[in-house]
Amino acid sequence: MTMGNTTSQRLKAVLRGAVFGVAGTMMLTGAAASADDMAAKLDAWLKQNQLGAYHAEEDWGAIIAAAKKEGEVVIYASSSQLKKVASAFMKVYPEIKVTAHKLGSEKSVEKTIREHDADIYDVDIVTTTGARSMVYEMLPNQNIINYVPSYLKSRIPEQYREPLLVRVLEGQAFIYNTEANPGGAPIKNIWELTEPKWKGHFAMKNPLSSLSTVACVMALVANSDAVADAYKKYAGKELVLSKGVKSAGYEFWKRMLANDPVIFKSGSKLAKATGKAGQKNPPVALASVHYLARNKTKGLVNAVMTKIEPAALMEYPTYTAIARFAPHPNAAKLITAFMMGSPELNANSKLVAPFDKGESAKLLQGLSSEYRIGVAPPRSDVPPHPDNGVWFEAKHLGASAEFIAKNGAKFADFWTIESSK
Amino acid sequence: MTGWLKLQLRRFLTKPERMLSLLLTGVLGILVVTPLAELIRETVTVQAYDAAFLPDAERGSLTFFHYERVFASELSWAVFYKPFMHSLIIAFSVTCMGVAAGALLAWLIVRTDIPGRTALNTLVVVPYMMPSWVLALAWLTFFKNDRVAGAEGLMSYVFGVAPPDWLSYGMVPIIICLTLHYYVYAYLMISGALASVDTQLEEAGAISGLSRLRQFLLITAPLLLPAIGSAVVMTFIRVVGSFGAPAVLGLPVRFYTLPTQIYSALSSRNAGDGYLLALVMVVLAVSFIFMNSRLIGVRKSFVTLSGKGFRRRDLSLGAWRWPALFFVGVFLIVTIVAPVGLLALDSLMLEPGVYTLENLTLHYWVGDNSAEYISSEPGILRSPQIGGAVWNSLRLAFAAALFTGFMGLLIGYAVVRTRGTLVSKALENIAFTPYIFPAVALGAIYLGVFSRPIGPVPALYGTFALLVIICAIKNLPFTSRTGIAALLQIDRSLEETARVQGIGWFKRMAKIIVPVASSGLISGMLLSFITVMRELSLIILLITPSTNTLTTLVFDYQLQDLPQHVGAATVMLMLIIVGVNLAVRIFSRKSQITSI
Repeated sequence: MTMGNTTSQRLKAVLRGAVFGVAGTMMLTGAAASADDMAAKLDAWLKQNQLGAYHAEEDWGAIIAAAKKEGEVVIYASSSQLKKVASAFMKVYPEIKVTAHKLGSEKSVEKTIREHDADIYDVDIVTTTGARSMVYEMLPNQNIINYVPSYLKSRIPEQYREPLLVRVLEGQAFIYNTEANPGGAPIKNIWELTEPKWKGHFAMKNPLSSLSTVACVMALVANSDAVADAYKKYAGKELVLSKGVKSAGYEFWKRMLANDPVIFKSGSKLAKATGKAGQKNPPVALASVHYLARNKTKGLVNAVMTKIEPAALMEYPTYTAIARFAPHPNAAKLITAFMMGSPELNANSKLVAPFDKGESAKLLQGLSSEYRIGVAPPRSDVPPHPDNGVWFEAKHLGASAEFIAKNGAKFADFWTIESSK
Repeated sequence: MTGWLKLQLRRFLTKPERMLSLLLTGVLGILVVTPLAELIRETVTVQAYDAAFLPDAERGSLTFFHYERVFASELSWAVFYKPFMHSLIIAFSVTCMGVAAGALLAWLIVRTDIPGRTALNTLVVVPYMMPSWVLALAWLTFFKNDRVAGAEGLMSYVFGVAPPDWLSYGMVPIIICLTLHYYVYAYLMISGALASVDTQLEEAGAISGLSRLRQFLLITAPLLLPAIGSAVVMTFIRVVGSFGAPAVLGLPVRFYTLPTQIYSALSSRNAGDGYLLALVMVVLAVSFIFMNSRLIGVRKSFVTLSGKGFRRRDLSLGAWRWPALFFVGVFLIVTIVAPVGLLALDSLMLEPGVYTLENLTLHYWVGDNSAEYISSEPGILRSPQIGGAVWNSLRLAFAAALFTGFMGLLIGYAVVRTRGTLVSKALENIAFTPYIFPAVALGAIYLGVFSRPIGPVPALYGTFALLVIICAIKNLPFTSRTGIAALLQIDRSLEETARVQGIGWFKRMAKIIVPVASSGLISGMLLSFITVMRELSLIILLITPSTNTLTTLVFDYQLQDLPQHVGAATVMLMLIIVGVNLAVRIFSRKSQITSI
């Protein structure tokens, strides 16, 4: 082995540098379409498919024929319910293969944006919660295009279709175990949850990993006045905010987090934690209302505390939109209309269980898998589900998309700090 | 001038190790250094998420906001210091206990006459085949108390007593579960080294009058030092970057570690926080390696002349044979049979939490998704997704293992044969660098870096090739360490005798180096295979639905709260891994420790 041969060592160093330098320059000169090119291409595509600014009254005959020719549609969804929608759709249109990927709220957004950045256009429909991502990031950047089938314009209130179409409204509510509490809800006011009695006995989903939970948790922050009023009712005096806390909503969550809540990652496990029969001391929870359906299917004994102050149900929207340069735009339009229910559906329609079969299925179409307790369609002309009385009984609160977009990051910080104390 | 060039050329051709190390350094530079540079760059760049905090800043501009936020703000305790402390405590504890356990088992199985060694050798590796969070799930199934309520834990069902919070969740079970998972590293490395220590060396010591203990301390132990050093480093770093178990066991008591913080930051697309925390882990790992290499030393030679008249005699345990087997047996029951048993039980239960015979069913294996069963997924053997996922897992694991195994051997050769030069050190460190990246962060970075075309290379996002590359790179530290350790024990003289006779480099590699290093090569590839088969966090961001693997499918079932499917699919995953493991061992005589 030759030692100390400085010439050869220098040579090596130079070669190494050259290799890195070349690699570096190659990195920087990656091919990228200029922004103007993209805008022009997108405009042409929108025009061709009558989307966005070029939206016109649909010729459904032509769209259906074109969709069948396309033969496929790909969905990124936050919820696994879309798989049921897919099966229902394929029963009516067997020529069109639907692939619904349940990715969760955050991944649906991340995957779509990443793919678009890489010039990959695989997805047709993106449906997920997440006001900040959907309305304030993807929509302005034109990763998604809002599409509202014409026949729905008069049947959906404007707030649920502009700037983005809402596919369903869902909510999380304060729930309790009816078997262990035969006398009714154990608490009348959310502030009771900050008492020592409820230490370690309140369960919820992790807002930091679930966009729907964030929306629900922030509903209280967005409606701090109602929360402050509730405190007055509870304690008989004005609420005194802790140092550095901005509003009653934040104060509530601060005290909640100090009271050792049990944080779950999985919503269904949460529902089981409160609702499983035979428990002596089950917790109460803030959980998705649609899990109440499991009272029938899995024998859980959950119920919503409909009378709790200031409100029982925190509502949030799940949006749906067509992705930029969707490879199957006609199929995407068709399935969007399918998801929202047929034009023949109206307030006088007779709907009987099971809703995924027969006449009801023809009317509800894609709505049939979302026609359940704890879920409401944005349409104002759909007869309410017989079990869904609780949705209309309980008081609702919600946070606007704008509020979430502006305050989401700061709230996440607040949560991180308070939950680490 | 031409004379000098000719000389250099001749030097390169006869000693290709220099050219090789140069080439390897270059390739790895692109695959490893670029992501690191990108990582650092992202931590000082304004991100989309920062808009709420820096409303006037332009996205992409320079900023130290993230550093301030993570290290010196009121958020820092929660976001960084506390999880960092947790990560350190867990990593040190698991490393100590894991390496001790692995070393003891290695010694018992390789160097003594404990009964059933071949079987034990295979069984001991099994815990590593499960994704680390599955052991945590099994722990919960057993130790769950009413804090998470719902279905009762087995212990509380059987004994009527609910275990305390500190035993069911948080630091203690995380340490236990991770130790029972990661001791395998120490076992594999140390057993490999023990298997190639020539007992004649110890006998020489015995002849010179050394007691058994002193033989061990003065002869055997120093020879094992490289293996032990590698085991310590690997265990520490893997544990520091481990996501699954802390996520499952830590969340109910709000116990966070660095990986869970990184994952939650990147999940909410807070790239600044996420990448900075990842960078901290990189710095931590580098410091640890540096300390370790100082302790082991660079110049010491650990050549044991293997391949040249080798003998190994096993230590007789005498009356302790059967008690030793019993001890190992109990250990294996706790780490393998119990968790697998619990998972298999889970997969057979109609209603989770009801531990009675009437509640058993095969539905989740072979049933269809008819309406009376609430889940919308059919039994796993009928599920169309499973076949595709199994095929993807297998071909990914095979491709990555082959690629990384041979690259590791080449790196070992290049590093050892140019030992003492700057290139050697650089290559060794670069080859180790991928390990430092927590899987989650490496996945995110590769996602960003290779999602755009780079010169002639097209965007690799969504391709199978990208998965193979990232899995191979992630396992390179193991295989390069194994390669280095194997080559360190092969003296130059073996090669020089061949070179003197005019045998070219390729033939030398094929006929001498590869066969002699084969036990190291194969255990390295086997370890990579197993790692990739159960890989989740590394590929979860890169997976597209067509490239779904068995582990990502299991994770999906877990998210959909289908414990029966989780149990069934995990049992299936392990059967496949164990099956391949057995097949490899049967076909490769070199990895059988009982043969000479």
